[in-house]
Amino acid sequence: MIVETQQLPFLEWLQSGPLIWLKVVGTLALAGLVLGYLVAALRNGPVAALGITRRVLFSGVADLVLISPRRVWALTRLAIQDSLRRRVVIVFVVFIVVLSFAAWFLDPGSEHPLRLYISFVLTSTSYLVLLLVLFLSALSLPNDLKAKTLHTIVTKPVRPSEIVLGRMLGFTVVGTLLLVVMGLVSYLFVNRGLAHTHEVVQADLTPVGQAQAPSGGLVPMKGFSSKSHGHRHDVLVDAQGRGRLEMAQDHTHALVCTTSGDEVAYEVGPPEGLLIARVPVYGKLRFVDRERVEKEKGINVGDEWAYRSYIEGGSLAAAIWTFDDVRPEDFPERLQIEMTLGVFRTTMGNIVEGLPGSFLIRNPKTGLTVEARIFKAKEFTTDVQYVPREIAPTNVYYLRRETIAGKEGEEPQVKYVREDADAATADKAQFDLFEDLSDNGRFEVWLQCLAPMQYFGAAQADLYLRASDASFALNFVKGYFGIWMQMVLVIAFGVMFSTFLSGPVAMIATVGALLGGLFRPFMIALATGQTAEGKVFYGGGPVESLIRILTQQNVVTEMEAGLRTTVAQTVDGVLQFLIWVMAQVLPEFGQFGSADYVAYGFNISGAWVAEHGLSTLGFFVALFVVGYFFLKTREVAR
Amino acid sequence: MPNDVVIETRNLTKVYRDFWGRQKVRALKALDLEIRRGEIFGLLGPNGSGKTTTIKLLLGLLFPTSGRALVFGRDATDVTKNERIGYLPEESYLYKFLSAEETLDFYGRLFKMSRRLRRQRTAELIEQVGLVRAKRRQLREYSKGMTRRIGLAQALINDPELILLDEPTTGLDPLGTRDMKQMILDLRDRGKTIVMCSHQLDDVQDVCDRIAILYEGELKELGRVDSLLKVHDVTEIHAKKVSDETQRQIKQLIERDGGELVSMGNPTITLERLFLDIIEESEAHPGRRVRGGREA
Repeated sequence: MIVETQQLPFLEWLQSGPLIWLKVVGTLALAGLVLGYLVAALRNGPVAALGITRRVLFSGVADLVLISPRRVWALTRLAIQDSLRRRVVIVFVVFIVVLSFAAWFLDPGSEHPLRLYISFVLTSTSYLVLLLVLFLSALSLPNDLKAKTLHTIVTKPVRPSEIVLGRMLGFTVVGTLLLVVMGLVSYLFVNRGLAHTHEVVQADLTPVGQAQAPSGGLVPMKGFSSKSHGHRHDVLVDAQGRGRLEMAQDHTHALVCTTSGDEVAYEVGPPEGLLIARVPVYGKLRFVDRERVEKEKGINVGDEWAYRSYIEGGSLAAAIWTFDDVRPEDFPERLQIEMTLGVFRTTMGNIVEGLPGSFLIRNPKTGLTVEARIFKAKEFTTDVQYVPREIAPTNVYYLRRETIAGKEGEEPQVKYVREDADAATADKAQFDLFEDLSDNGRFEVWLQCLAPMQYFGAAQADLYLRASDASFALNFVKGYFGIWMQMVLVIAFGVMFSTFLSGPVAMIATVGALLGGLFRPFMIALATGQTAEGKVFYGGGPVESLIRILTQQNVVTEMEAGLRTTVAQTVDGVLQFLIWVMAQVLPEFGQFGSADYVAYGFNISGAWVAEHGLSTLGFFVALFVVGYFFLKTREVAR
Repeated sequence: MPNDVVIETRNLTKVYRDFWGRQKVRALKALDLEIRRGEIFGLLGPNGSGKTTTIKLLLGLLFPTSGRALVFGRDATDVTKNERIGYLPEESYLYKFLSAEETLDFYGRLFKMSRRLRRQRTAELIEQVGLVRAKRRQLREYSKGMTRRIGLAQALINDPELILLDEPTTGLDPLGTRDMKQMILDLRDRGKTIVMCSHQLDDVQDVCDRIAILYEGELKELGRVDSLLKVHDVTEIHAKKVSDETQRQIKQLIERDGGELVSMGNPTITLERLFLDIIEESEAHPGRRVRGGREA
């Protein structure tokens, strides 16, 4: 799994996220007010429009502030009863039927069974629930308007804000209840689907070497287990009778060996390491080139999707991750480094063995650097490497940071210069990771490729330290929380659109808004003429692009100066502004889903939950206010 | 606005427009009305005359194009006025999946009534509208008459001061109609103000104190029912203790004149006749007020 976007620490996010929300909502509110005034001025004249705008504003504030929780609860209950009347429980029945059939075609013997099972249950749950709430939220209010049942409600002392909020909350309650039940069933389904054991029998094991068993004792054995769930494990048993079933399909099993006379019995435990929630500790990535000059990025090997930067093998080039606040109590014995490196070969080399690489650990304060480990990089899979807490290095030296003059017209650069360690340090047999190589929990991991003419590709999230695992069950709940947030967004958009559109149109608008959010980076690039990475986005706005297509003009050539170009670019200016506004208000819907984290066994951090939870709340509140104003300003009886 | 004026409209106008803002129909033209506390006021008119539009404007379901509608001195779009209002729509627009009890409980919640009060009011009203035996059945199983009854009950859940009834007797059998009319009169006796629009002219005649007749959005007639129905060029004498001799002399006088005495005094025409006369005259002379100056 690739985590492309780095998770901001919650407090850092809190300094910018709510501010952006306030800016966007404030700007929209102001724009709405101005637009409202203009419409009123057209109809009633500029002076009367001032009074109308003031009245709408004041009554709007009153409607939003003086919301009665009791009335909202009454309307929430009604929305729940309405949903039940529409037989929403059928969705649950469909889910059970889908799960029953899924047991036939989900192969527990696949290479990554957890991914398969989790992706399936989370995807099917989200499709069913999102579709259900889309129908409920977009159709409910239009149906009430059509049946005129809303007439009876609005002639009671009910504020439009209470009607909108009651609907939103009611459908949220219904969806939440469904999600809870579906989540419980899914959890049982995954647990039961993946539960298995193997048999290990004496006949499948052979002694390691020619060791003779002491009288009544055991010899180290190796062999394989029986096949179950489409796979078998290699088995290793030591002379004490302790053993393990080796890693296969992302899990192992404990093995207990008991002897009774000549008989040896093996008891295999349940799968271990399958239902996991790794807690990764991410570092900040930078690079040095072949002369150890610091760079933001490595080499581009020509990937169109330049997610990874590459370092040259057999040179001093390195990818450097700086880790902060690493606590000894999280890593009492060793550092567990997990990485998924990209490998770019200019020669085939030994394709079976993998490319050699090395880890250096450097203290950023003192510059003390030790060569901690040499490894063979596995391609395409997550590789696990261990660096012991007490490192017995193959080489020790200092890498001093020096500032050198840049090329003409460029900024000065940072270069790391090697300096031999003094005798006392060089002769030291062991270095403690936290005492010698860390500056108050801060240290650097340097990754180098040792194979000349080959390259390692690295991105920030490719390498992380794995602290102790979090609870899988809790992570599973967080996975459902992701669906819940998506559900809330669908409900908020659906109800908001249904306050002024007919049911089917509100549904299409909701789907459009949420799908539009998926293209948000593209929309921003189109509107600003610049990609998120700061590159030029060629081709101009929509009109200019159309002209280029029709005239078969290359995107990078300048448009011919003239009236046509001026008109096209002026219209584009307006369209690009509108696209930019849309991009500011649409949520990146996919970002709220967390299924991949659970499926790939990564813990969903509390910061992720808090930030996305607050973002969802932000959208909910904004859409509620917009929905309220639409309902307030529409004639219910038209 | 004097204290006893419950509803006041000033120059109230409603124009329906299409999506592009073009005028489709002028549903109400500069309506001026005052309805006072404790009276039963009837709005009459043929289909499309603007009476339902008037009710909807008073309830804030529609917004006026110009002019104002004030209820209890507040703008009709102010929801707080609804605390004191009960509304029975033309068809009881209620949630069919709720039972009578649940329906009244739900609307009681919208008035923030306590659970105890809701229970008490629900029981009282269900008893009052005669739905005790059907109180736990879903409204989808109700007949039209039963739906009207529960509709009226929901309109009264908050013990309102002003009750707006749109075609209250539609769908009711004669017995139900009689009960409904009696209930309206009882409410008036309890000091409630009632505004009703109806096609059942005899019902209006039976219960209304004052009526307004609308035609094509214009107010054509406004006044007390008894005054409007009076025939002015005929004299009706009601007298007690008239001796045989006097009666004979009156009869002789009439016979001498070549006539025949049927009864003495002012005969009345039916409300239906009056209504039709006004409509026919309005069609013959558009824009002219048919009869004026009859306000009691």
